[in-house]
Amino acid sequence: MWTTIGHEWAIAALERAIAARRVPHALLFTGPAHVGKTHLAREFAAALQCEGAAPPCGECEACRRVQKGTHPDVRLVEPEGDHIKIGQIRNLQYELSLSPVQGAWRVCLLTDFHTATPEAANAFLKTLEEPPAHAVIILTALDAGLLLPTILSRCQVFALRPVPARRIAQALMERWGAPEERAETLARLSAGAVGWAIYAWEHPEVLAERQERLRELEALLTASRGERLQAAERYSKHPALNEIIGLWQTWWRDVLLECAGCEDLITHADHHEALRRIARLWSLPAAEAALRSTENALDQLEHNANARLVLEVMFLSWQPLAA
Amino acid sequence: MKLSCLQENLAKGLSIVGRAVATRSTLPVLSNILLATDESRLKLSATNLEISVNCWVGANVTEEGAITVPARLLTDFVNSLPPERIDLSLIARTQTLNLRCGRYEANIKGIDAQEFPIILVPEEDKASQFATADLAKMIDRVVFAAATDESRPVLTGVHTELTPQGVTFAAADSYRLSVVSSPIPKAPAERISIIIPARALQELRRISGEAESVTMLVSSARNQVFFRMPEVELISQLVEGTFPDYRQIIPTTYNTRMVATTADLLQALRMAAIFARDAANIVRLQILPNEGGMGRLIVSATSAEHGDNVSELDVTVEGQPIEIAFNVRYLLDALEVIDTAQVALETRDPTSPGVIKPVGGQDFVHIIMPMHIAR
Repeated sequence: MWTTIGHEWAIAALERAIAARRVPHALLFTGPAHVGKTHLAREFAAALQCEGAAPPCGECEACRRVQKGTHPDVRLVEPEGDHIKIGQIRNLQYELSLSPVQGAWRVCLLTDFHTATPEAANAFLKTLEEPPAHAVIILTALDAGLLLPTILSRCQVFALRPVPARRIAQALMERWGAPEERAETLARLSAGAVGWAIYAWEHPEVLAERQERLRELEALLTASRGERLQAAERYSKHPALNEIIGLWQTWWRDVLLECAGCEDLITHADHHEALRRIARLWSLPAAEAALRSTENALDQLEHNANARLVLEVMFLSWQPLAA
Repeated sequence: MKLSCLQENLAKGLSIVGRAVATRSTLPVLSNILLATDESRLKLSATNLEISVNCWVGANVTEEGAITVPARLLTDFVNSLPPERIDLSLIARTQTLNLRCGRYEANIKGIDAQEFPIILVPEEDKASQFATADLAKMIDRVVFAAATDESRPVLTGVHTELTPQGVTFAAADSYRLSVVSSPIPKAPAERISIIIPARALQELRRISGEAESVTMLVSSARNQVFFRMPEVELISQLVEGTFPDYRQIIPTTYNTRMVATTADLLQALRMAAIFARDAANIVRLQILPNEGGMGRLIVSATSAEHGDNVSELDVTVEGQPIEIAFNVRYLLDALEVIDTAQVALETRDPTSPGVIKPVGGQDFVHIIMPMHIAR
């Protein structure tokens, strides 16, 4: 049984390939972070090695070893530090030339291949084009555009899209026993990233922190100029500053939607009251300006601007909300 | 698991399996050795997913069981124990192996034996058998020619062909080629052609020392080769791919054939090697025929910085005079594994490969590409 959430079309295609014994020698799964690329890739590896009747059965010795990462014929290569390096590729090439130990295939799974150095990627071309008959190479990457065209043309590409929120909520309820309301919230917040939703369900502090950050944002709106400047100094030293601003950005998006009267599209449904209150006091252009200010701030931070100045500009640009 | 065995036996067993332990691996269990009871013996296993070695050690087993423990730790500890009886027992709850020898004791934390890869051994129907001494000699004659650079994996292996007539091993690294063949005591009925990693053969050579004969089996899926000796078993994955058709490369004709005394030629070349060290290992051979089939061989090496060396040998020459250059390391590698008193070098011209054969033996051929010499 496939346990991957969503991506039914990709699973169907992979199943057909196994059934027809026409397994592609090189596959590439692309998609946003936490969307399920590595999970699907690992499950496909398990399906190839599975000894059960309906691969991947998830119960046979081979499936369990693949899931645990101890199958001798399934090799996982992850970036070493920030990159996949040429040494890793060279070792892999020799390993791939050897016959499989237990199963019929030697599978190698290279995650985040977009981090491969150009030397590593180029060294891999020959193997990728003509791997030994028993080898299956699976790559994952955030985006096909980040890879060399020569790598791309040698792989069968599966572009995984964000998983629909309903599908994620359903899976959280069925498999993890999450209550409906919590599942809906997580699914909406995940923006289609299944892995994030599961992580947030298993680690409730993620949601608690989000509540805290949103509460701080609301407090800032009623704060005086002086308080805002102090807040800017405090936040500028925060290690996860980009994530916080990213979260605020989704909040302003909701305010904008609320102002425009598109209530059903909002992400932070559990804060509907607060959103409605701000929307009543603000006009559409003001909400848009606030959203843009967070966007600018993120952009400037990426270009190494002084964090405190960026935050000051952003905070002061937000219209004070009459208490 | 509860058993006792002698320190000498355990230490020897560990040294046999030790080389197959993975040094850099993504699977932590591969840097461990599997200890398992097998009737009244202790079975030691190690694998790096390329080569696996099993070794049985006589033991007094009182309770069955299995565990894997870190190879380095266990080997170093056992080696430092006195030659007495060792009692091993497994504490199942914590997966810890307790060793007790006289007044010394150790607890080694292990990993569950279930995590260790299972390597299946096939049935014994298509077996071939070698005399260990012959096998060792054949391995010595080919493995040095296998490539160490892994960019062309097939060349890191030794092409092995079994026919009802015997066995042929061949290894090449695109500068030289070594081919050795021999009848064997028991050959398979059908032709089998596989590529065995050179490392596996070297390891086999090392651990087969005491056995009188070695049984070789190729799995029916053609993905593994098994070497079985009493108390020891070596299993190797095979290199997949097509080995170059080396028979086409072996020249069949020559314009010059020289026969020299192996020991004299070796001595002259070793001397030249000292000077050739700084000059890309180039050594020049000048073969000059005289009347009546006799002739001279002038071996010379020149280092632009440090000087030169010339040696002259009396040899028998057939055909044209010639001056040809080789990498002296390659010549030495080949001559060092020739055990006949005389050796022949055949070549067509300074740009054609040189063929080295022992005189009086048909079973070994070595081919070396010449080096280009500016005139």
